[in-house]
This record gives sequence, structure tokens and C-alpha cells, in this order.
Amino acid sequence: MLKKFHNVGFEAVEVVARRPFGLGELARYPLFSKEFLDFLRGVVPEPRHGELVYSIVVTARKPGERTTA
Amino acid sequence: MSYFSEAEARSIIRDTYGQVHSDGVAVAEALYSTEELDRLPRGAVTLALGVGHPVRHAALEPGETVLDLGCGAGIDTLLAAQAVGPQGKAIGLDMTPAMLERAREHGAQIGLGNVELREGLMEELPLPDASVDVIISNGVLNLSTRKSRALAEMARVLRPGGRVSIADLVITEALPEEILKSPAALAG
Repeated sequence: MLKKFHNVGFEAVEVVARRPFGLGELARYPLFSKEFLDFLRGVVPEPRHGELVYSIVVTARKPGERTTA
Repeated sequence: MSYFSEAEARSIIRDTYGQVHSDGVAVAEALYSTEELDRLPRGAVTLALGVGHPVRHAALEPGETVLDLGCGAGIDTLLAAQAVGPQGKAIGLDMTPAMLERAREHGAQIGLGNVELREGLMEELPLPDASVDVIISNGVLNLSTRKSRALAEMARVLRPGGRVSIADLVITEALPEEILKSPAALAG
């Protein structure tokens, strides 16, 4: 993902926050049904239930002198 | 690699987000401070569907123009509008009309006059070149089947020296194929 930022010309690309995102976090979201969460529990190995993916925040800057509106 | 075409992905995402309902605050309470949530409408709080807090890392200044990509029901757009003040502006962009309508209601409920909402795609931003100071986004870039195109569009609409603060989910280890093929996983 960071490489894609560089590829389109951003600079100072940095991950400023990062935390694991597991089934417990997903269960907070109304986007996911109980059936889907059960499906995930079934197909994901148990050691990964707490960190299925990672939530990150990336900051970056477009090159050039800052101008005002 | 995506198992869905661009059209399929958009259809799944529009349907999922257009129909979502929530009375809970678990997502919002995990991401935002009590002080922040106290100055937002209840509907924006219960429909917080992001995965991080991009506004916290955006270093917004009064008078800036901020674009929130995939604004949903508006929680980050409203926080950004409050941060940049009446001399600034927060533009919320979303491809789901139902979400934009909710964001519009939420902005009106707290009387923010510096919020502008637009329907559009992150891969084809309906904004002029070099027209915004900061772009934020929360759990949205991963929904795009053309992420590099979306990033190029961000670079186009940012002014020189402009910033992005993007919260998203990333995979550090391959997920089972059954998950990657699941429409429910795509929409989340």
C-alpha cells in the first residue's frame, strides 16, 4: 500500500498508527452478520482470530510549496 | 487481485452501506474520544463505520479545505468541519446516496454551514485540480478495485504541499480464498 502512495508521487509517506484488527473488532460493526462472523471463525485458523488484518493510518504529502486557498 | 469486477464491487458496496442500520456506539467509542462524540449528532456516531481516526493525524488548521473520501454518515466530515472552522470547508464525498442523505441530516442537526456533500467515485473525483488542502478517508480505499487510480486522483486534487491522512485495513498475511471471494468481506 505504501508503495502505491510513492508511485503516484506522494512524499513523506508514513504509517502513523497501526493496530491489530481481529474478529472481536469486526463484531462491533453492523456491516457483518453473525453468520458471516461464524463463517470467519470457521475458515480462519484460531491463532489469527485476534489479528485477522491490521488497521493503519497513513499520512503523506504532495510535493511542492504549500499554497493557500 | 480482486474476485469482483468493478461494477460488481460497487453494487455490493452500495447495497450494503445503503441498507446498514445501527443503534450501537461500539465502533465510535473504540475510535473517538468522548469529547469528540459529545459534539456530534447521535446518528453520525451510531453509523461510524471507519477503522481509525484520520482526523487526529491530519493536523487540520482553521481555514483549510478538507475532502473526506467515502464520508458515509459523516462522522469524520463533521469533525473536520469543526476543526477547520467557518473560514474552512469540509467536503464529504460518497457513492452511496443513502449515506450522503444521512450525512446531510447530521450536518444540519448541528448547524454546520461549512459542510458540502457530493456524490461521486474516489477513482473519478468531481473536483478541480489543486483544489483541496487535505484529504482524509476512513476504511474506504480498500473498497476500491482501482486503488492506484484513486491515489492518483487524490494527488491531482490536492494543492502542492497538501496532505493526506488515510485510515484503512491491510493484510499482512494471506487470508483464506473463501474470505476473499465473499461479498460480505468485500463490503467490510
